[in-house]
Amino acid sequence: MAAGSIIDFCNVSFGFSREVPLFTGVTLTIRKGGVYLVQGPSGAGKSTFLRLINRLEEPLSGEILFKGRPLSSYPPPVLRRSILYVQQTPTVIDGSVRENLLLPFSFKNNTQFEQPTDELLKTLLVDFLLRDVGLGDNALTLSLGQLQRLCFIRGLLLSPDVLLLDEPTSALDRESGQVVESMVEQLNRESGLTVLTVTHKEPKPGLITPLLLKVAGGHIREVIWKMES
Amino acid sequence: MENGILEIGPGQLALALVFILAAGAASLYHGLKLERDLLVGTLRTFVQLFLLGFILRYIFHLNSVWPVLAVFFFMIVFATRIIRERVKEKQVSFFWPILISMVISYSLVSILVTGVVVGARPWWKPQYFIPLAGMIIGNSMNAVAISLDRLLGELRKRRQEVEMMLCLGADYQEASKDMMTTAIRAGMIPSINSMMAVGVVFIPGMMTGQILAGADPVLAIRYQIVVMIMLVGSTAIVSLLAVLLVRRRCFSSGHQLVLRPRNTGSK
Repeated sequence: MAAGSIIDFCNVSFGFSREVPLFTGVTLTIRKGGVYLVQGPSGAGKSTFLRLINRLEEPLSGEILFKGRPLSSYPPPVLRRSILYVQQTPTVIDGSVRENLLLPFSFKNNTQFEQPTDELLKTLLVDFLLRDVGLGDNALTLSLGQLQRLCFIRGLLLSPDVLLLDEPTSALDRESGQVVESMVEQLNRESGLTVLTVTHKEPKPGLITPLLLKVAGGHIREVIWKMES
Repeated sequence: MENGILEIGPGQLALALVFILAAGAASLYHGLKLERDLLVGTLRTFVQLFLLGFILRYIFHLNSVWPVLAVFFFMIVFATRIIRERVKEKQVSFFWPILISMVISYSLVSILVTGVVVGARPWWKPQYFIPLAGMIIGNSMNAVAISLDRLLGELRKRRQEVEMMLCLGADYQEASKDMMTTAIRAGMIPSINSMMAVGVVFIPGMMTGQILAGADPVLAIRYQIVVMIMLVGSTAIVSLLAVLLVRRRCFSSGHQLVLRPRNTGSK
């Protein structure tokens, strides 16, 4: 375990079957408080990489550590709400926006969290340019872009240590996308949140220079970012 | 009451075949291509039921608990195999979960009904135990098949939703609660519906049999009520158990949904 690391991959191999490996012998370190962009060709395993980190997938061999301990040493629900993965396809239940935002608080492993008030939820909706969305609206009537932000907010409410975002701004216009990005930056700056984002977009020059993880050919490597100016 | 039933002799049995011949002729005339199936079906009906008749007579004659339990267990294993054939699922094995849930629920219901409700002495008295157990197994077998088919289908179809909840800190039970209740409901609705329709839309086979055998219809309905209730009861228990046990197998110890979309991982 390297100093200042939060997640370590130790010689991790993965494949959906043993004959067809997706990753072989991946060793890398995610630093605490780092902001990472995960890039690579389609089908290279970017989403799978994130799913390995929150243990939705199990490596065929090797080990993944979170805060120096193997992922398997944490109860899965506790691990997953600390390493929060926001799915590529925003998924909601058939219910109101409020019910969806409060859904995580109904799970027995999350009982120590205090349920956010309507006031807080409304403020968050406004912050994310969802002023027109009411807490009582059925979530299934929202647009894809609205759902993406809703699912993002729902994840933030659990105050995770690590945030895994799978193309979080793919359906957002420029303005809404920037709101999400600046919220990520703010959380990173203020509470040291570690963020890994799968994206096809080039990052805009901002306060934080992201680190780049390239997923290709069965390997994941940290590469030096070359900002084109 | 012993003389109430009219005996069917070999000649009369043969006479009944006229209907099969007529069906065969219709099949030939209209090109339905069902002659072969009709022939095989008729032969199987004769052979299987004759065998059953002799086996039952022999078991009744033995009047011992072990052969009765052997027949009971044989029926359950056979029902499990039929369900396995019907629910086409390669990724999760469920032979043992079904067998276990069937043995538990059918033993419970069959013993309770013959021993306590009907009051047969001893509780395994073959004339009561075997037909009643057979009815329970035959009927709720469909419920198990429907429930499991639905459970696996729902979990596959709503994988995103299950994983969404897992990602937010749900355990596997919480993440699949809705799919589980949908599955159990789907399995139970047919037997609840038949409680609604019984006696109005159809006269159940067992009651028909008892009346033909000369029983008083008012006595026959009592048996039928017991049977209907025990069918619903056993259906509920067996569906619940089977769904819970199979659901457990759909998730790994790390609370990962191991059912995958059908095309990945099977190249």
